[in-house]
Amino acid sequence: MLFVSLVRNELKKTWRSRWIVFAVMGGVFLLIAGGLYTYYVISQGRWSPPPAVAWQTTLRADIANYQQQLGFIEQAKQQGNGGPSSGPFSIDSAITQVKQRIADDQYLLDNNIAPLQSYSITVAALFAMGGIVMFLIIRIFGWLASEEIAGERSDRTLAILLSRPMGRTQLLLAKAVASFLISLAVVGVTFLIVYAVFAFVEGSVGPVTSQVGLAVDAAKPLGASNLVVMPIPVFVLMCLGATMLGVLCVQGMSFLVSAVFGRWAAIGITLAVLFGAPLVSTVVAVIIIGISQDPNKAHFLNYLFVNVLAPVSSISAVFGNGPGGSAGIGLGEFEKELVTLAAWTVAFFAGAWLLFRRKQEAG
Amino acid sequence: MTAPIVEVDRLSKRYGRVRALNEISFSVAEGEVFGFLGPNGAGKTTTIRLLLGLQHPGGGTARIGGHDCWTDHVAAAKLFGATLEQPALYGFLSGRDNLRLFARTLGPVDEGQITKLLDLVGMTERANDKVKRYSMGMRQRLALAQAMLGKPRLLILDEPTNGLDPNGIHGLRILLRKLAEEGMTIFFSSHLLAEVEELCDRVVVLHRGEVKAAGPLSELMNVKGFQYRIDVSDVDEAMKIVRSLDGLTVEPGTIKDSILVSSDKDMARAINHALVSAGIGVDQLVHTHRGLEDVYIELTGVAPGSPLSSAPAPPPPPATPVGAAKP
Repeated sequence: MLFVSLVRNELKKTWRSRWIVFAVMGGVFLLIAGGLYTYYVISQGRWSPPPAVAWQTTLRADIANYQQQLGFIEQAKQQGNGGPSSGPFSIDSAITQVKQRIADDQYLLDNNIAPLQSYSITVAALFAMGGIVMFLIIRIFGWLASEEIAGERSDRTLAILLSRPMGRTQLLLAKAVASFLISLAVVGVTFLIVYAVFAFVEGSVGPVTSQVGLAVDAAKPLGASNLVVMPIPVFVLMCLGATMLGVLCVQGMSFLVSAVFGRWAAIGITLAVLFGAPLVSTVVAVIIIGISQDPNKAHFLNYLFVNVLAPVSSISAVFGNGPGGSAGIGLGEFEKELVTLAAWTVAFFAGAWLLFRRKQEAG
Repeated sequence: MTAPIVEVDRLSKRYGRVRALNEISFSVAEGEVFGFLGPNGAGKTTTIRLLLGLQHPGGGTARIGGHDCWTDHVAAAKLFGATLEQPALYGFLSGRDNLRLFARTLGPVDEGQITKLLDLVGMTERANDKVKRYSMGMRQRLALAQAMLGKPRLLILDEPTNGLDPNGIHGLRILLRKLAEEGMTIFFSSHLLAEVEELCDRVVVLHRGEVKAAGPLSELMNVKGFQYRIDVSDVDEAMKIVRSLDGLTVEPGTIKDSILVSSDKDMARAINHALVSAGIGVDQLVHTHRGLEDVYIELTGVAPGSPLSSAPAPPPPPATPVGAAKP
């Protein structure tokens, strides 16, 4: 009962002190949606959504595009304008990749399996969870989590809370649960907004009970042994779960830093890590790939640094933001990224707990 | 003396190479109003942090109601409410919401008690205003109400008069007296010696992390004997005569044509006789009361609130034996 009261306290404090942040986020969503709609109206010359297109039609159009692309590349090869003749960036490698895409799309068509990009809801799940919006929102969660401990320490209210009859573990857990609930609400709302935008653009809300297929390893040809078919709700929940794991990871990191520092140091360090780690990893990856001429050589970096968007990104090459690029995209990579992120998350929370429970508070 | 609610036994604390507390011991009986004194850097705040369970001791123990303040914090914390030197409140919430929030850490919120406490500290009218709009004195009063949530047996107050105007200090004094009469134990740390002198039954004087004196206020203030102010016709001559008597110290008084004489035993008649016999006119001989401030300066070598109080103090005299600290 006390624990529920503590969580309620934390929710109330966050809402009453930071409601302006949520209001700004809502305003930004409205502006983006409004801007997109205005662009749509001007570019398409219509107010209503376009007619919906079946995924099979889109897939056939994709195949036609790839075949045209293949023709250009083969023509370039015959004319000797195709760059290096061997290695991952060679013209032969490009031809192989395009041929595989055509074969993959044809396999899905033949077996009546919709790819991930088929429905508004699955695209929204990928974009909302792995896109730029979540990139920014997740950093806001890092800041808010810093306020919960380091901010209270700077305001001296943490000392009064710690002098109250409750354990430090209980207080830390209450703060973690409250942070999680708030971020869950924001992620849920973000997803619904992005879904609404995509439903409009696609001209259809699409089915929510159908099935989609995704490769276990996108570097290999699709087939019965390299394809997982799952219901749309499971796929959406999987994306949502992976995103929330990323959020938890950020909150764990923030708590760890907050267990030691005051408000501004905690916010500064958390944001520096969140922005700096991908930057450093990308620079290192570029150097490694530049020397080795093999994108796979830098892929190990994905498991070393804290890339909170990695799991969702790993199942959609479009939004791949790991230093290893699109290498190994697929459900297999998703699982590895998930385990990596879970390990980071557990380590951050364990570190935060160990430090917080023995921290000498000034009061 | 009733059973102690606060027991501090050989409590030590270091911050790196700085020794903040050196095996201090004292106890506070249930129902007592206890004064905790010392210049800046004496270790008062460190002791309070240890009692509140904010820090763990380097050695020794601090117990409240028999519960160790660090290892059994939850049980100990059920017995006390506390205010910090700077009132710790949420500025973005109203006074009432602050109390609700802190009350929730103790169990179900008792709205009746919150209303009563707001009334008790004179904050009813501003209860629904945000705390960030409060003056320092109002924050102090609200912090006091926060400390009294759940009717604790012990109230630990760190400089509760900070920011209060004379009316506020007077109100606080009356409130604390009332609480003490109701049986609440009050641990009162303050620089305002007049308040401590007015309110407290016993005091501990801390200096450089060590207990310099501990005991009932009445005993502490008479520990060094007697002091007289004598209005005389000739100050220089009177000082010469008094100096010739055994066991007396003398200095010019702060009032014109007066001297101050100190002695271990009552020598009023002998002094008067010596002066009159020598032809010195004695207008009056007053047995002056030693104030807490005199004792404090004598023990710590630092005047309370003086600019020197934060500077390294001169070596203080040895600990006073009266009401010696608990072994």
